[in-house]
Amino acid sequence: MWSKKAAAVAGGAIFLTLAGLIRLNYLFISAGLVMLTFVVISSFLDVWMPNVKIRRETTSDNIFEDGTMSVKFIIKNTGLGIGFVEIYDSLPPQARIMKGSNYTLLYMKPWQEVSFEYSLKLPLRGHYHLGPVKMRVKDAFDLFYNERIEESIHSFSVFPQVEVLEEQVITSRAPKLLSGAMPLNVIGTGTEFYSLREFVPGDSLRSVNWKALAKKGKMMVNETVREDVMDVILLLDAREVSAVGGGRDTPLEMSCRAAATYAKQLLDERNNVALMVYGESIERVDLDRGEHHLFKILTALSSAKPQGNLKLQIVMKDLLPHLPSGSPIILFSSLDDDHTISEAFTSTISRGFTITTISPSSLDFEEKMKRIPIEPLLIAKIERDNMISELRSFGLQVGDWKYGDNVNTALQEI
Amino acid sequence: MEENPVEIKTSRIPKIDKIINYKDFFGEYPIIFAIKIISSLSLIYVISEFYIYHNPMDSLLTKYLGKSLKGFNPSPDVFVPWGFAAGFLFYIFTIFKGRYKFLLFILIIGSVSHYIADPAIDMQGGEYTIPTKVDIENSETNATEWKWKPVKLVYDDVDKTYERIDDLKVRMTNIIFGSMPFLGAYGIWKRKGWAIAASIGLAIIIGFLYTPNLCLENYEESYCGYDTKQEDRTWSEYLSSGIFIGLGFVIYIELSYAAIKYENYAEQFKPAGLDISLLTNAQRKSVSRTLSTLFVSYLINLAVILFVTFIIAEIVININNYLSTSDGQIQDSIELQGPYGIVFTSLIFFLLLGIIRMFIGPDHKMEES
Repeated sequence: MWSKKAAAVAGGAIFLTLAGLIRLNYLFISAGLVMLTFVVISSFLDVWMPNVKIRRETTSDNIFEDGTMSVKFIIKNTGLGIGFVEIYDSLPPQARIMKGSNYTLLYMKPWQEVSFEYSLKLPLRGHYHLGPVKMRVKDAFDLFYNERIEESIHSFSVFPQVEVLEEQVITSRAPKLLSGAMPLNVIGTGTEFYSLREFVPGDSLRSVNWKALAKKGKMMVNETVREDVMDVILLLDAREVSAVGGGRDTPLEMSCRAAATYAKQLLDERNNVALMVYGESIERVDLDRGEHHLFKILTALSSAKPQGNLKLQIVMKDLLPHLPSGSPIILFSSLDDDHTISEAFTSTISRGFTITTISPSSLDFEEKMKRIPIEPLLIAKIERDNMISELRSFGLQVGDWKYGDNVNTALQEI
Repeated sequence: MEENPVEIKTSRIPKIDKIINYKDFFGEYPIIFAIKIISSLSLIYVISEFYIYHNPMDSLLTKYLGKSLKGFNPSPDVFVPWGFAAGFLFYIFTIFKGRYKFLLFILIIGSVSHYIADPAIDMQGGEYTIPTKVDIENSETNATEWKWKPVKLVYDDVDKTYERIDDLKVRMTNIIFGSMPFLGAYGIWKRKGWAIAASIGLAIIIGFLYTPNLCLENYEESYCGYDTKQEDRTWSEYLSSGIFIGLGFVIYIELSYAAIKYENYAEQFKPAGLDISLLTNAQRKSVSRTLSTLFVSYLINLAVILFVTFIIAEIVININNYLSTSDGQIQDSIELQGPYGIVFTSLIFFLLLGIIRMFIGPDHKMEES
């Protein structure tokens, strides 16, 4: 390809030649023709294009939002060519380079291996890739250049940010047989105090409350809350309407962060967790536990895209028959643009499930973006408050999650 | 025992690097300094050669300026070296730092003003520069009086000052033709591509304004510097000299561009945004060696290509002469025997080269992904 310099020299040469014709100036004509000859002859020079092998070494295969990934870019010249190569490692547009550069100019010798490093940060969850690599070499006079795109791709995922929850997440009345860490609001073996009762034969002496004995003069034993594993269903609203706002400030992004946080907490406590993402269709990660399962859930959350407009009632009708009876469901939704919410909740409760809602307020984003005038915004806020009050009046736990608060704050509202 | 803190007195004499950015002048590697010197020499050569075939006295500029500017007498022997020196000195001025640049500016203005005003204005000190009470001569009462006569300006040799002003004006007029070397020198040393491009653009404009023997049509022989009309050179003479001027311009463009390019390469080897001092001695030597190797290979490439260009250009330009004089119908073509014929046959030649290029040049196909 022609460089700017080649175009300028050739253009100048043609101008000189034509100007020479106009002025009948032989000097101009011959000088112009010499310059043109120089450009034409230079085009015969072979522009060396290196044969390279590229690999990247990264500090981790996946990162969390706002996490930093260090990349070591290693390129090896596998041919006998020699010269300068400009290298540009393509990055996702959302990436911010924190240190170093993804562009470099290298002087490569045969069989030489050269490396450079850079660190990048990605503020948004999703699946990304580094590459392809763009390489450019020029001839000795920078008149012509060649470019090549090396399809060296390094894929990685950015998981939603996980916060540390300050208290037990949720309770269930449907314990599984395996012992776990969740308080189930049922008297049984556990560590959390529930009540005192009189000693009956068969009670372990270890459970006797000696202070109570001293006070009341009769044997009293501690009763504890039974703790066990349970099946928890995380339900994520990824409808198109959940993309209100921009960047990290959308109900979907907040919901993903919250879902990741809850999943981590629940799995750490050895519960079975399933994730259902609904929007255009329902994507499922079935019940399971362990670190590997957390990876599956985080990957599914990274893939969640705002699309479709499935109503909650339809989702519930589809899901409930397949869920273990009485399992707690945690819904992450802004509760916007869905007239079936009340019916969906009623039918879920009536079938013995408990449902907890964490609802990021999309109105806060609208207010921040100043897209809605103040008066309609106030009315919308009142309508939302009324809806949340109505849901709470059914005995449902609804956390109204305001923009800027962390997950813990939303949890305290429940 | 308490030790007295050692007072470190800072010297009042500022360090040289606080006054002038001398590193910019020498460059970070000797090879870059050498490239700049070679580029400067090629610039002086090209412009001197250019003015041999474009006598400034025959320029349209001289036709009009010669009448309006007293003493306007452009001579390439004067304005080429001085134009280059002015451009170089202007670059030196720009590398002075902060207040020192301002002080230098004031110094230059002061020196020039003093040079102009010196013959005309003479200062005479008074008898008493400090007010003093002195006795009044021939006074009977021993009366005294205050006397103070500090400085008197005497207008001495005003004509000489006018002469110097005229002389300066004449010297200043040299910048009209001297702007080419001025801009070229500044562009090479300051690494400004636009200045180099402007100097080439000016060469084209000045060449455009040139008409042989124009001076004699408007001025006396004594002013023009030649008495009789020069014999018109044959077009083949012009063409062959044009080849050298064209090659000279290519050398000038390439070397001045190389000065900028290699400076940029040296920048690339530095840690981002930091100084070369962070490189180890071994790294610096390695960079210097790489740049030297590259520049030598570049010079060899340039020499070979220029030689090939010269041969091809000779063929291209002379092929028309052969065609127009060879037997056959083609010599009957009047158009082919003039400048249009030269350009026409040259373009056909380039067309043929282009066709050859299609088959034997490098061809890198994009690999399908």
